[in-house]
Amino acid sequence: MSDNHNSHVNYLAVFIALCVFTGISVLTDLVHIPNKAVLAVIVLAVASAKALCVMAFFMHLKFEGRWKYVLLAPTTILAIGLPLALLPDVGVHYYMIDVPQVEAGETETSHSSPSAEDADKHGDSHSSEHEAAETHH
Amino acid sequence: MSHAPAASHTPLKMGIPIPNSKLGMWLFLGTEIMFFTAFIGTYIVCRLGSPGWPTDTAVTHISIIAGGFNTFVLLTSSFFVVKAHEAMVDKRFQKANQFLWGTFLLGFVFLGIKSYEYKGKWDHDILPHHIPETDAQAVQKGLRLLNDTSQAELTALTASLDDDAEREKPPEREERQATVQAEIAAQPESPERLARLNAYNAFSSQLALLKDAAQREALTLHDFEHELETMQANEQYGSLIAHIHAPHPIKYGNLFASIYFLITGFHAIHVIVGLTLFVFVLKQGSRLNSAWTDWVENSGLYWHFVDLVWIFLFPLIYII
Repeated sequence: MSDNHNSHVNYLAVFIALCVFTGISVLTDLVHIPNKAVLAVIVLAVASAKALCVMAFFMHLKFEGRWKYVLLAPTTILAIGLPLALLPDVGVHYYMIDVPQVEAGETETSHSSPSAEDADKHGDSHSSEHEAAETHH
Repeated sequence: MSHAPAASHTPLKMGIPIPNSKLGMWLFLGTEIMFFTAFIGTYIVCRLGSPGWPTDTAVTHISIIAGGFNTFVLLTSSFFVVKAHEAMVDKRFQKANQFLWGTFLLGFVFLGIKSYEYKGKWDHDILPHHIPETDAQAVQKGLRLLNDTSQAELTALTASLDDDAEREKPPEREERQATVQAEIAAQPESPERLARLNAYNAFSSQLALLKDAAQREALTLHDFEHELETMQANEQYGSLIAHIHAPHPIKYGNLFASIYFLITGFHAIHVIVGLTLFVFVLKQGSRLNSAWTDWVENSGLYWHFVDLVWIFLFPLIYII
């Protein structure tokens, strides 16, 4: 049976706090923080505060018995472990990334192709099989 | 064990002092935490490994106001469900029913706003495997759009071929082309029909030139945009292609779209499952009683978890 200590919780106050936190998140976007890392820390800290409010009060974890630690410890460890296991890929670039999009972007800015007018003037004799279907002779 | 008579009325309960259904729900939520952590971890890796990830809302068509409002909607629905459980414990079943209806309707508001956002992505073709990531891919996509229009017009002009009941397989493109040429040569009586056939012919010829230039890598995106503008201004066939916008490359756009739809899509599925759980309680109507208290608590826990996931998705996908 769950504890009944939660009967006096002011859920409205928790809800208002959550709305204020959401307002702060939207505000951080409106003020345009140029540093992405600072922005990420602020909004994720606000999100964590909101998550704690929801878990502690709405999900009653604050008032539950010690079974909550037994039940949630494995999943918490694994949930923290997963991003840590991915850290080599996230933070430590131990290999060179071969990204076709980046390469294409670099070549397109440094190299310009002949104009379309030239293409139109000389294009008639080079129709492929597929294009021939479009052309009418 | 005590031998007192009172003890014989209380069945011995082993394990955690909560109902089995609640234990089951918490264990399930434990697996759900890992499920969404895997998605979020993948997103972080992809995001940090992709320099130039699209964040401009004008490009991604992400609406922070819509996302923020949806956060408010889910928070309100969570508040309602916790009040519903409180009312169930206090045996105020009518009140509980009202709060549950509030949660249920807000769930649909959330899905409605999400659908509106998805529609925006759909309209702008921000879909996995649809987004050009380089200038060359943008030109190819533009040509494909023009080609689709050309094909649709050709099919419409030669619809009589499809009506032939004796035909074993649908007419080939070449046959349709030949039909158009033959009809032009025969000079149809209707001047409108002749004008439409000639418009198709002129458009098709111009498109062939563009394709040829693209194949010889002699058509830059800038050239294509200019050509498209000129073609759209053409009096003869411009109206055929007035709806086409020159595609712009979005670096990592496909990865962004895949992750956006994967994560928000799975979240939306969870919302639908939560709404389904509430249907069973709402069906009770005035018959709602204490027997449903555990159900309301467990479906409430699930609903709060759905809210919890969105609390992290909103900053990660919409703001950062």
